[in-house]
Amino acid sequence: MLKHLFKLIWNKKKENFLLISEILISFMVIFAVFTLLVHNYRNYKIPRGFDYEQVWSVSLGELSGSKDKDSVMLMHKNLRNTLKSLPLIKDLTLSSSNVPFSNSMYRTTVSYKGKEAHTDIFHGEISYEEVLRVQLLSGRWFSEDDNAAAKRNIVINELTQERLFGSGAALGKIISMGGEDLKVIGVAKDFKDQGDFKAPTPAIFLRIDTSNIRDASTILIRVGAGADATFEGKVYKLIASTVKSSNLEIKHLSDLRKNKNKETTIPMMIFFIVAGFLIFNVALGIFGVLWYNINKRRGEIGLRRAIGATASSVSGQLVGEAMVLATFSLIIGSFFAIQFPLLNVFDLPASVYLTAQFLATVFIYLLVVVCAFYPGKQAAAIYPAVVLHEE
Amino acid sequence: MIQLKNIEKVYRTDTVETQALNNISLQVEKGEFLSIMGPSGCGKSTLLNLMGLLDAPSKGEVLIASQQTLQLNDRKLAHFRNSKIGFIFQSYHLINDLQVLDNVELPLLYRNSSAKERKILALEALEKVGLSNRVKHFPTQLSGGQKQRVAIARAIVGKPEIILADEPTGNLDSAMGNEIMNILLELNRVDGTTIVMVTHDPNMAQKTHRLLRLFDGSQVQ
Repeated sequence: MLKHLFKLIWNKKKENFLLISEILISFMVIFAVFTLLVHNYRNYKIPRGFDYEQVWSVSLGELSGSKDKDSVMLMHKNLRNTLKSLPLIKDLTLSSSNVPFSNSMYRTTVSYKGKEAHTDIFHGEISYEEVLRVQLLSGRWFSEDDNAAAKRNIVINELTQERLFGSGAALGKIISMGGEDLKVIGVAKDFKDQGDFKAPTPAIFLRIDTSNIRDASTILIRVGAGADATFEGKVYKLIASTVKSSNLEIKHLSDLRKNKNKETTIPMMIFFIVAGFLIFNVALGIFGVLWYNINKRRGEIGLRRAIGATASSVSGQLVGEAMVLATFSLIIGSFFAIQFPLLNVFDLPASVYLTAQFLATVFIYLLVVVCAFYPGKQAAAIYPAVVLHEE
Repeated sequence: MIQLKNIEKVYRTDTVETQALNNISLQVEKGEFLSIMGPSGCGKSTLLNLMGLLDAPSKGEVLIASQQTLQLNDRKLAHFRNSKIGFIFQSYHLINDLQVLDNVELPLLYRNSSAKERKILALEALEKVGLSNRVKHFPTQLSGGQKQRVAIARAIVGKPEIILADEPTGNLDSAMGNEIMNILLELNRVDGTTIVMVTHDPNMAQKTHRLLRLFDGSQVQ
């Protein structure tokens, strides 16, 4: 029967050309939608590598007053002591402005024996680990002992380790950054700082220079439960009275995360809505064409019933024909879809494209079955005694 | 072979009730060639539909090969039609998108027969109607007479015991009509197939074993 259906559709390929094209276009759109979904879902499933809840980011802004190293260091020390005295502040760290979920970015290149990795670079104090609850996989975080070290120590994340050392150990190795040698003392989990839907990137962590007013421009504060707007106002006033800044700003990392996620979810929603309309139109098109075909083929359906087809086999045949049509489209569509992993378009893993291709194929078959189901039922209800005398 | 007992057929709509057949009792013997004649609208096709199990009577019984058919469900009816009955229609009802061979194979698709077996049987049926040289043609490339011969091949491919023909020569000129009639007579004579044929043509009816005349849904002869 399957061969019969293929023959029937193949012999009517000219009439079915538009429908095949319509299903093909839908497949490509659905493939794009699923690629996006699978890619974002996979990123979403990757552990974040830190904890953003109850963490505030204080941007110190443009500071006035003396900018010499000792004054800056003293100012930061005073600020730290003042804030630490507040009971709801559990811990805090000075940080470079590229705090998680911000739009700020520091990039650098590190190398080891000819292998290079382009990484994000995060600066923080010893307490940075505790404030963001960075998850270490091996080695250790920074400590006061590092102050006496001959070389600056560095913590790298898994991706940086993989790029520089492959599957080999990283601890104790000396890597190079802009001509400076750095000793790897720890490996942290990948750090997903650009939102839930963005893949983590290679990253390194360095001790911040608290005497550098440009580098140490932000404070990350971990607050306890009950830290409300009133407390935030109090913190703001306290900082404002300690530093002279024209644009002091406090943001919650949870809000920054939401905003960062919107950069992915809003375009995705727009894309889904547009794709949804397209799919709805295609579904109506398939439904309409099948309905029209049934009316055109009443005699044939009556004949099939007369020569031995049951009502369910007639209905099944109509659904089967629609699926064969979809198969023709999917064969062509799959040829195009497979080019994406082969040509490494958009630099996504091949498994993302293959999963999306599989899901899009299942979706198209389901769509076609749903659209063909009712016309199929109508065809099954055709009364052979009547239609065989119509022509 | 076919037994109709006190058959009545009434078509009802919301406002109108039409009596298509009224108290028809009929027996068609195995190997008999029966023709049915009567004016348009007298119930000939309705009677043929009842014999072909395409329709059910409002009253009465239909027995095919001694089997009561009224209680059969859709699946069993379909199987019964497929194995026991072959249909020939005035307007051929060939599928234009399929080649002659595929059209003839059609009834065998609803049986558990292999592709090879289907092809052998279809070629054999086409041989019988003299169209073995047209297997790859599409129906649109054939004349009316050839189309009807394909329809006959399709009707006999499953080796049914009964052939029901609804005005098989109605769309053909007399020469073509005679050709088709000769094929039907040959099938009846050589294979012993029971044939019931509706016709408007007295010359064709004359060639059959028995003639049944209908008028206003009733048997008049």
